[in-house]
Amino acid sequence: MTRPISTRVMAEVRHQTVLIARDPGPMIGYVVMGLLLICVLRPLYAAVGHILGPATLLGTDQAAAGMAVMFSLFALKVGAAHLLNERTWHTWDRLRASSAGFGEILVGKTVPIFAVIVAQQAILFGFSAIAFGLKPRAGWWALLVCALAWSACVLLLGVGASTLARSPAQLSAAGDIFALVTTVLAGSLVPVVLLPGWLRHLAPASPGYWALDAYRNALIASPAQLVRPLMMLVVFAAIGVGISALIGSWPRLIAIRRRSLEVVRKP
Amino acid sequence: MTALKAHALRKRFGPIAALDGFDLEIAAGEIAGLVGHNGAGKTTFARVTAGLVLTDAGSVQILGIDVATARARSLLGLAPQELALYPTATARENLYLFAGLYGLRRRHAHRRVGQLAEDLVLGDVMDRRVRDLSGGQQRRLQAAAAMIHRPPVLLLDEPTVGADPVTRDALLATVRTAANEGAAVVYTTHYLPELDTLEATLAVADHGRILARGDRAALLATVPGHAVVEFDCLPAALAVSTYGPVEIRREDRRLTITATEPAAALVPLLAAHPDATAHLRGIELRPPTLDDLYRHLVRS
Repeated sequence: MTRPISTRVMAEVRHQTVLIARDPGPMIGYVVMGLLLICVLRPLYAAVGHILGPATLLGTDQAAAGMAVMFSLFALKVGAAHLLNERTWHTWDRLRASSAGFGEILVGKTVPIFAVIVAQQAILFGFSAIAFGLKPRAGWWALLVCALAWSACVLLLGVGASTLARSPAQLSAAGDIFALVTTVLAGSLVPVVLLPGWLRHLAPASPGYWALDAYRNALIASPAQLVRPLMMLVVFAAIGVGISALIGSWPRLIAIRRRSLEVVRKP
Repeated sequence: MTALKAHALRKRFGPIAALDGFDLEIAAGEIAGLVGHNGAGKTTFARVTAGLVLTDAGSVQILGIDVATARARSLLGLAPQELALYPTATARENLYLFAGLYGLRRRHAHRRVGQLAEDLVLGDVMDRRVRDLSGGQQRRLQAAAAMIHRPPVLLLDEPTVGADPVTRDALLATVRTAANEGAAVVYTTHYLPELDTLEATLAVADHGRILARGDRAALLATVPGHAVVEFDCLPAALAVSTYGPVEIRREDRRLTITATEPAAALVPLLAAHPDATAHLRGIELRPPTLDDLYRHLVRS
């Protein structure tokens, strides 16, 4: 009756793709807003170039990378909402009761969301390249590596957020605040060097800061300089996984502990 | 052959013992009606059997395999009490998802989806989104998702809650068919007449354990039934009392006799009062129902 893991994962991937396709509004919105802001902010970032210096992103580079980071953080909310829906629709338990394992379900659900976040960034950078001549100095492959790493980080933070949130409204409010704070600290809207001093010190605590650093290095520096920011993204992704693993396994840990106590009590 | 075996299950949620020595065995092809008031442990048992909740003690096996394993989960079809469907996907997409999760090949899944759609009268709505379906259609779809892979053990937790008569009939017929094909069915419900339709055996749960288990007829034989005797005018001399296990209640021109065999109890009563038989208008025997059985067990 059972078939290889790939069959079950593919069934979940197909289904999740359908669910995303049925409700494309938020993602379309975050792409359109990103494109619009790239057009609007590009001249502003070009004009302040003399203040920022050569090591900082300017013009189209800053606008494209900043909006890619900002709106993928808003996309985190969309991804987390898809995962939270499983709980509000009571389908999560139904999936767990099937013969698919936890890992298969999670992979099947997250792969399409990951693809959407990567696609969103591809559109923003692709548009910037076609319309404004954006060209990464470290090569397009370096930009792709950054996009994949940042998308994975966003996705895993979203998994963590979905386990913490108790309702869609709570997720929406917390997601907006998190996205905006992280965007500001990242320097996506106002470059970090122009932020107030106390915010500049806090900026490295934001995963967006390291994402923008990775994009900066791909756009105006060399591939060797990608290592540190990418490693930091891995750390933030691990935090997301850690949160979801801890919250998800808590009831199981309590039950296992109770069982072991029962065994100890028996003569 | 035992298809499902739960042994000495214990589960506490804080101070509440949801399962407290819960034992249940169900044979292949058997439909076991699991009844009990709210909080009796029915849903916790269902969740434990589905591998969704770890017990504090005890074990559940499906065809001899512990439910903690993926293999056991593939042998179980679950229709939980709450609707667990994707509202933005169509009925067909929901069924194909579960077919895929249970490893059904595309062609096999296609055939099975078509068959269940026909059996559960869902053919016309298969391409409509679940949120646009009626409550009864959603209930039938939920049951179809549980049966998509022809599991040897089916766990249906109050599948007909809020269902209309058409939905109920279709569901019951499909459950009966599954049992005829060899599936062991655990059917929790508050609508006891459904268990008559399904010809189910009974398991009565209370406070996290099984109070009574067995054939309906055998269990019903232990429950008092009623004989209602109507008179033109009830003679004052007619003794109205309770003796032994027989309870006699007088009400206007009617006597209600409650006993394990009410007809047998009636004979000596009337024989002792020959004047009363002249005023006799009719006798109605009311055998005990499953509702009576349930109340009797919980009271005692």
